[in-house]
Amino acid sequence: MIWFIIICCGLATFAARFLPLSGLFPPELPRPVRQAMRFVPVAVLSPIIITGIFISPEGSLELDGNMRIWAAILASAIAIRTGNILLTLLSGLLGLWALQLAF
Amino acid sequence: MNSRPTDPKLSARGEFISGVLEELPLQAGIIPFGMVYGILGMESGMTALQTFLLSSILFGGASQIVFTQLYAAATPFGILVGSIAAINARHLLYSTSMLEYLGQLPFRWRILLAYLLTDEAYAVSIRRYSLRPHSEVMHYHLLGSGLLLFIVWQLSTLAGIMAGAAIPDYLDLGFAIPLSFLAIVVPLLRSRPELVCAVVASVVALCGQSLPWNSWLIIAALSGVAAGMASLYWAGDGS
Repeated sequence: MIWFIIICCGLATFAARFLPLSGLFPPELPRPVRQAMRFVPVAVLSPIIITGIFISPEGSLELDGNMRIWAAILASAIAIRTGNILLTLLSGLLGLWALQLAF
Repeated sequence: MNSRPTDPKLSARGEFISGVLEELPLQAGIIPFGMVYGILGMESGMTALQTFLLSSILFGGASQIVFTQLYAAATPFGILVGSIAAINARHLLYSTSMLEYLGQLPFRWRILLAYLLTDEAYAVSIRRYSLRPHSEVMHYHLLGSGLLLFIVWQLSTLAGIMAGAAIPDYLDLGFAIPLSFLAIVVPLLRSRPELVCAVVASVVALCGQSLPWNSWLIIAALSGVAAGMASLYWAGDGS
């Protein structure tokens, strides 16, 4: 069953990458579709970010003593200043480890 | 479409090498990302082979991470495939914008390059196509950037699978995932519609944790898109 799921996900992904290049469709997507597509990265990634910060591995909202919140704020500041993925990643992880050691 | 001057001096080899070289710096982010995926894949209950092959069958970092999370949580088939399709729908945009440069290629080339059309390869090669003079062999640029990314991604997945057990839980390495997405999303939040989209999607995701079948992600994403569109039309830019 899992192989079937993997193959279906692979086909869906390849379809998104290939269909516009296949020549089977008009080259211009309808305007509302293009506008909606603009929001897809933010709309999909924001929920993953926010749950990764605020939801504990057990699946409940975690606010008290949650060091990931502060580490994420630090990483956001680095992301805004540098726009560098690796620096953002490192500052967030090192920040988290430092906070966990300190508290 | 062929209005730009073409530069006959550019060889296929030269295009390929410049694709590889321009893709190279991005690997600093890809390697830890791939390793974290490998670790999470093993933790989700997939076998080493399944974890490894997902990296070539899906070949999309963000969607693979989500796959491991949804798979570990026993998400039903339709929601899982729907969530992955939603995450990767952005590739429709990439592919559409490549049409202008790659649309005339033979079918087998278009299949190969579509397969390699990931975020990072797209980002590097679209810059080359839109900023520098065209050439007859410029598709080799995307071949170079895409192939390098493919190889590094497979190797770092493998490293993650092998290192998995050796990395202690308290390091909280899974936190690398939201962090790397943060680095992608934060620079995108320059305008009000994007901001509205991010806030609405985040709030819906947090409030929707108890929704059945792990449908919170797809519902949050759709709410975010709808809110972004509403904000766009509200501001009068949508018509």
